[in-house]
Amino acid sequence: MKRRVVLVDDHELFLAGVRAELGDAVEVVGEAGSVADAVALIKEQDPDVVLLDVHLPDGSGDAIINAVAPERPGVRFLALSVSDAAEDVISVIRAGARGYVTKTISGPELAAAIERVAAGDAVFSPRLAGFVLDAFRAGERVGGDAELDELTPREREVLQLIARGYMYKEIAARLNLSVKTVESHVSSVLRKLQLSTRHELTRWATQHRLV
Amino acid sequence: MPLPSFAPRAEGRVIAGVCAGIAQTLDVDVTLVRLVFALLALAGGAGILLYLALWAYGTSKKAWLWAVLVLAAGVLLLHAVGLSDRAVAGIALVAGGLAVAWREGGTFRPDSPRSYAGVGLAGLGAVLLLEGQGGTTAILAPGAVAGALLLIAGPWLWRLALERDAERAARIRTEERSEVAARVHDSVLQTLALIQRHASEPRRVASLARRQERELRGWLYADRPLGDDEASVVAALSAAAADVEEVHGVRIEIASAGDCPVDDRAGALVLAAREAMTNASKFAGVEEVDVYAEVTDDEIAVFVRDRGAGFDRSEVPPDRRGLAESIEGRLERAGGKATVTSAPGEGTEVELRLPRSAP
Repeated sequence: MKRRVVLVDDHELFLAGVRAELGDAVEVVGEAGSVADAVALIKEQDPDVVLLDVHLPDGSGDAIINAVAPERPGVRFLALSVSDAAEDVISVIRAGARGYVTKTISGPELAAAIERVAAGDAVFSPRLAGFVLDAFRAGERVGGDAELDELTPREREVLQLIARGYMYKEIAARLNLSVKTVESHVSSVLRKLQLSTRHELTRWATQHRLV
Repeated sequence: MPLPSFAPRAEGRVIAGVCAGIAQTLDVDVTLVRLVFALLALAGGAGILLYLALWAYGTSKKAWLWAVLVLAAGVLLLHAVGLSDRAVAGIALVAGGLAVAWREGGTFRPDSPRSYAGVGLAGLGAVLLLEGQGGTTAILAPGAVAGALLLIAGPWLWRLALERDAERAARIRTEERSEVAARVHDSVLQTLALIQRHASEPRRVASLARRQERELRGWLYADRPLGDDEASVVAALSAAAADVEEVHGVRIEIASAGDCPVDDRAGALVLAAREAMTNASKFAGVEEVDVYAEVTDDEIAVFVRDRGAGFDRSEVPPDRRGLAESIEGRLERAGGKATVTSAPGEGTEVELRLPRSAP
């Protein structure tokens, strides 16, 4: 069965491009160009996956996630952005997005990412992996749960390989793990990213909300 | 400054409900308010006038009416306290003058003639006070003058400061706008012109657009400076990647964690990485190359990876010095180490590691 997808982006041209690139791989059930429209559309359509731009004219992507998630817990979000700013990406992930890919991603790769997110896994681009390593490395911890505030050596290793451009399959082969285990490491990193009280992460999130 | 809203209360009133209204507005016991008014009424009838003033204010909202009544109440009060006529008149003039000089919003406008009239009145009052006889007023008067001047000059100076800040902000905005205009002209518009000229060469167009994108990003997200400013390792790698992209028409994705300034040794690392990117672009036969830079307290690590043809080290002709000289040799001289992992059909990864401090 094809995944039902909602596209949220305020750039018409880009939406058209994504739709064309995705082709028949998924079923696009709606498009929205603003936070307000997107929230209404997602609640109405209840799609499998929402492809979400980080910046919209009337707010940011995390506002949509915050508005929709309590009512539609089954909807998964994948951030798709040209933004290079770590705080933008981190804050949308912390709001609950299952991953982040850049807008230069190819059609088949995007379709694969949508499939992975729909299945409940996390999708990290190399760039996001770099941000996350950076965030968990720098700065001091401020109380909270130590387990949530540190990456395990294995998680770090997996993230480093993602940053280096390895795909899950390649990482699994290199570390002698199953692809499933690699996926669970990435999901665990995602969970830490969302729940951690680490200073760097909270700072990024707060800064973003203030902007 | 909006005056507090207040209305006499019919409910629980004894005379006109002024005390009840005040008690409600200030959220205090009505008996306490009545007591204060009663005490003030004993002071030469000031309380009665104040009551009338507040009633006038609460019902008609005519500012001048209640101002006059409050002034009268104040005069009666001061009399009752035992000040001379002269001192009382002086204080009344100072207060009245300030009230005139102050306009709505609690500001003093140096450009309004009314303000000068008010200041004049206040000054006259101050003079009266100064000339007033009596031990207390002789001490009070200079203080009152100083206070009056401060009250008048303070808001005025404050306004001046605000205006200066606003001007500065406007100037900064203008400067920023012209900087943006210059930047857009030098880079984006030039690139668009080039793209139009090369519209028939997709590769060239793609690399131009890509380079422009990288530059614009670097500028927008300030921590990655433009190509002409290679102060940090990540920025220098990005610049090198942009050059390689342009020459060879590949896409180079850069991810990074941490960053540090470029010194001679880090510069050698960047050059080695650039050579690795060039090799990947030339020989791997792929569209995309991944670069990851990780800067920790101990070392700088850069990985250049492609999923292309790969090669067998033993089959590389010895006269091809690129790998051995430009990458491995260069990094070793800087005190680091390069490792090349490759096999035919499996892609290539060049791993460059350099300790942060010289060994």
